[in-house]
Amino acid sequence: MANNSLMKVENISKIYQMGEVEVTAAKNINLELYQGEFVVILGPSGSGKSTLLNIIGGMDLPTEGRVFLKEEEITKYNDKRLTNYRREKIGFVFQFYNLMANLTARENVELATEICKDALDIDEIMKAVGLEDRKDHFPAQMSGGEQQRVAIARAVAKNPLILLCDEPTGALDFETGIKILSLLKKINKELNKTVVIITHNMPIGDMADRVIKMRSGELVEIKENKNPIPPERIEW
Amino acid sequence: MRKLDIRLLRMIKASKGQFISIAVVIILALTIYISFSMTFDNLNNTIDSYYDITNYGDVFVEVVRIPKAAIDQLYTIEGISMAQGRVMVDVPLKVENPNEKVRVRVVSIPKEEKPINKLFTIEGREVKKQIKATAMLRQFAEARGIGIGDKITPYIAGREYPLDVIGIVGSPEYIYLMENEQSILPAPEKFGVIYVGEDFAQSVFGYQGSYNQIMIKVDDESLYKIDTIIDEIEDQLDRYGVERIIKRDDQLSHKMMMEELDSLDKMSTAVPVLFLIVAGVIINIMLSRTVKNDRMAIGVMKALGYNNIQILQHYIKYSLSIGLIGSIFSIVFSIMLSRVFTNVYMQYMNIPIMRTEVYFIYIIYGVIFTSIFCILSGLMGARNVLRILPADSMRPEAPKIGKRVFLERIKPIWSKLTFSWKIVIRNIMRNKRRALFLIIGIALTYSITMVPIFMSYVFSDLFAIHYGEFQTMDFNIDFSKPMNNNGIKELSKVIDIEHIEPKLEFPFELNRGWRKKVVSVIGLNTNTEVYNFTSPQDESFTLSQEGIVLSEGLADSLKIKIGDEIILKNFLPNKEDTKIQVTGITQQYLGLNAYMNIEAMGKIIGEKGMITGALVNSSDDVTAKLNNVANINNIQSVEDMKNSFLEFMDMIIYSVGLLMLFGGILGFAIVYNVTIISISERLMEFSSLRVLGFDKNEIYKMITRENGLLTLLGIIIGIPVAYGMCYGIATAFDTDIFSIPVNITPISYIITAIATIIFVTVAQLATIRRIYKLNFIDALKSRIS
Repeated sequence: MANNSLMKVENISKIYQMGEVEVTAAKNINLELYQGEFVVILGPSGSGKSTLLNIIGGMDLPTEGRVFLKEEEITKYNDKRLTNYRREKIGFVFQFYNLMANLTARENVELATEICKDALDIDEIMKAVGLEDRKDHFPAQMSGGEQQRVAIARAVAKNPLILLCDEPTGALDFETGIKILSLLKKINKELNKTVVIITHNMPIGDMADRVIKMRSGELVEIKENKNPIPPERIEW
Repeated sequence: MRKLDIRLLRMIKASKGQFISIAVVIILALTIYISFSMTFDNLNNTIDSYYDITNYGDVFVEVVRIPKAAIDQLYTIEGISMAQGRVMVDVPLKVENPNEKVRVRVVSIPKEEKPINKLFTIEGREVKKQIKATAMLRQFAEARGIGIGDKITPYIAGREYPLDVIGIVGSPEYIYLMENEQSILPAPEKFGVIYVGEDFAQSVFGYQGSYNQIMIKVDDESLYKIDTIIDEIEDQLDRYGVERIIKRDDQLSHKMMMEELDSLDKMSTAVPVLFLIVAGVIINIMLSRTVKNDRMAIGVMKALGYNNIQILQHYIKYSLSIGLIGSIFSIVFSIMLSRVFTNVYMQYMNIPIMRTEVYFIYIIYGVIFTSIFCILSGLMGARNVLRILPADSMRPEAPKIGKRVFLERIKPIWSKLTFSWKIVIRNIMRNKRRALFLIIGIALTYSITMVPIFMSYVFSDLFAIHYGEFQTMDFNIDFSKPMNNNGIKELSKVIDIEHIEPKLEFPFELNRGWRKKVVSVIGLNTNTEVYNFTSPQDESFTLSQEGIVLSEGLADSLKIKIGDEIILKNFLPNKEDTKIQVTGITQQYLGLNAYMNIEAMGKIIGEKGMITGALVNSSDDVTAKLNNVANINNIQSVEDMKNSFLEFMDMIIYSVGLLMLFGGILGFAIVYNVTIISISERLMEFSSLRVLGFDKNEIYKMITRENGLLTLLGIIIGIPVAYGMCYGIATAFDTDIFSIPVNITPISYIITAIATIIFVTVAQLATIRRIYKLNFIDALKSRIS
């Protein structure tokens, strides 16, 4: 996999100024992500995993260190290029779905696709996430699992290089959570998308190609999974 | 359609109450701007073309008598392109009711091919050579129900002259029909104008081959030096006894119209700007709240790759669509309304022709200006979009810093407040900007509502003071020619009199440096009982033997103070100008006048003991008894003045109502929007209170208390603002005819406060639904944007 390097994180640290105290959210993190792999970042809350994800996704800038997409250093980007990076290269899935309440499922997906160049076919994506019958519903008319599937469709339809998921099952019950994970796995396999999931839920790590463990803003372990198990066999 | 635009449309739909209320304010602003501006242009054009068609004169000279040859001499003055003579005399008209005193001005029609002040025949025929025929001014004909073919009978020199009405006409000099500067309001059923052939007029009034008025046209190129031309005219005509020279700008009808147009012009910008500012502030507050609530949605948009400009545009489109939708309605309304307004003005102004056009330039200006305004206020409101970092927005916002408010430090007060009052006060103090806007909005509503109430009171006051305190006579009698004191004696024989005193009234030009003004100077007994002079400082004083007293408005316009000397310029032939000292300035709300001791004034005129009228107190039926008495020109009774005032009041009640409505709409829009915003901003807080066991009414009561407290503050601040606004209006209305005193009665303050509270309450009730619909469980649970 080493020759398939997609992203490289070099020595990044993030310090927040909260009033009079400084909070170190990430400390000297080095990491590489490869094309087509399924990565789970594990850690308790406050371990800096969201910060790391946000920095990789161009939503936040590190206080120190550099981030590369292939040869390009995105930490050198100005605001405009960073926006473009998020638009074309990154797909985000959030814990609370964060759909636009006053747009239907399909419109939420279109909201993302109409600003990118090589978006995928929306109907196919809606079908792939199993929502072809629910596409004209508003978020408030859908269950949490359905909403999360819309959010995944929204992220995938942009045809990004990498899918970043921040606790995608955090707000869901066990069974729905498993379905969402299967969907993400399917996208990873069938569309060959790199998927990064952050979670505090240890068992999810079993389905990953690699598991990255974080604690107190530091990367404590990177473990390769020779035989990742299918999500259906995960239990928690 | 772009998905963000779809979101926008749904956003508008969800907040339609607010959207509509702001749009209404904008519609009002823009409609007033466009329709008033169009009406202004329409009127201006109509008046211009009417003046053109009727060859309206530039200068009018009243003389004792002048032969035709002397008028022709005027052409030697450079700049004069036309000069024509006519005979003009006011006489009584015979009417059925002997108690009614009706007067007509008999005016001769010049024989020239192209007459100045040519009549505009509306109905019937023109008067040419017919002897017993007349054309009548339309306002008078309509007011008295006289038509073509009717006979009217003026008394001329004690004789009846029946005349056939063969034409109904309009005239450029009586667009606004008033007898003279002293008449405060038009009374078309009491005073009219009839036009007769020149030969007829000259023979019945004894002016064979001569005239008593000259109409003059000045070349357009020479109009700039009209004052020099007037001086030359005065010199040349001195020996014919120049009584008055009136240039077009001072001509009564023209002046009244120009004043009307001027206030229309002022209104057309001042009101819209005020309303737009209010709309802008509401938009600003509303959008900044929306952006705050949409924090997470904005974060998502940014995460999806939308840039700041795209997101800002999304929100600005909200305010821009308010502006554009408002514009569409305004354009439709204005086009309709400008027709209606122009029509109403035409009726009121009596112009038989009408030029109405749609002036697209005002639509363009209005729409562009409104759009820019909406974009700017949207930008101000939504600017926080820029500050939202996508990563931060995913986290819940830190709670607003809660700290002790100022009032809490005053323990004796704070400790007496109940818990819910404490919340109310903390909320107000925590959101100072919004509270301030609400207070200012209510203050504004209060003052806008005050203006019409003030106006309606002030007008009744104006008349009550002028005819009840300043002048206390029941009748003001003018003789048709100057007499001596015998006139008084004879009057006393005909009617039962409680009090009678003589008066001498003549026009003079008052000069002070380059400032000058023609006014009626009234000579009175020093110990007059029917005029009560009061200085601007409210001290009463009497006339002095020498010297002159000026009305306050006159003194202001000539920039004169007590002790100054002025020059009294005489219009009588061969009389020198007189220097005289100003010994007093008196309050006078209606008209501009100067007052002197009657003997001192007689000396200036050179006719000792001469009087031109009498001031009478009597409970006798004076008008009826004097109706057939010769040598009486005019009887003005206070009763008549009161009646015409009542009619005038009817007219202003409509405008009062309209202004009140404007104030109400403004107040509603402000209170409604601020309350809705305040409710939706605090959904979480209310929901928590609901969970704690507060019921809906208690929460609603809290908001009501907040608004109530702010309304109270708003009204308190509104009082000086209202005073200022009324002062401004009074100054704007200050003319030669009215000087408006700014004393607002306590009852006006109270009525205005009640009206304001009603507006606020209505807006408050309109928001009650929000609280009752509040699903607190959802609000607590979900953080869906």
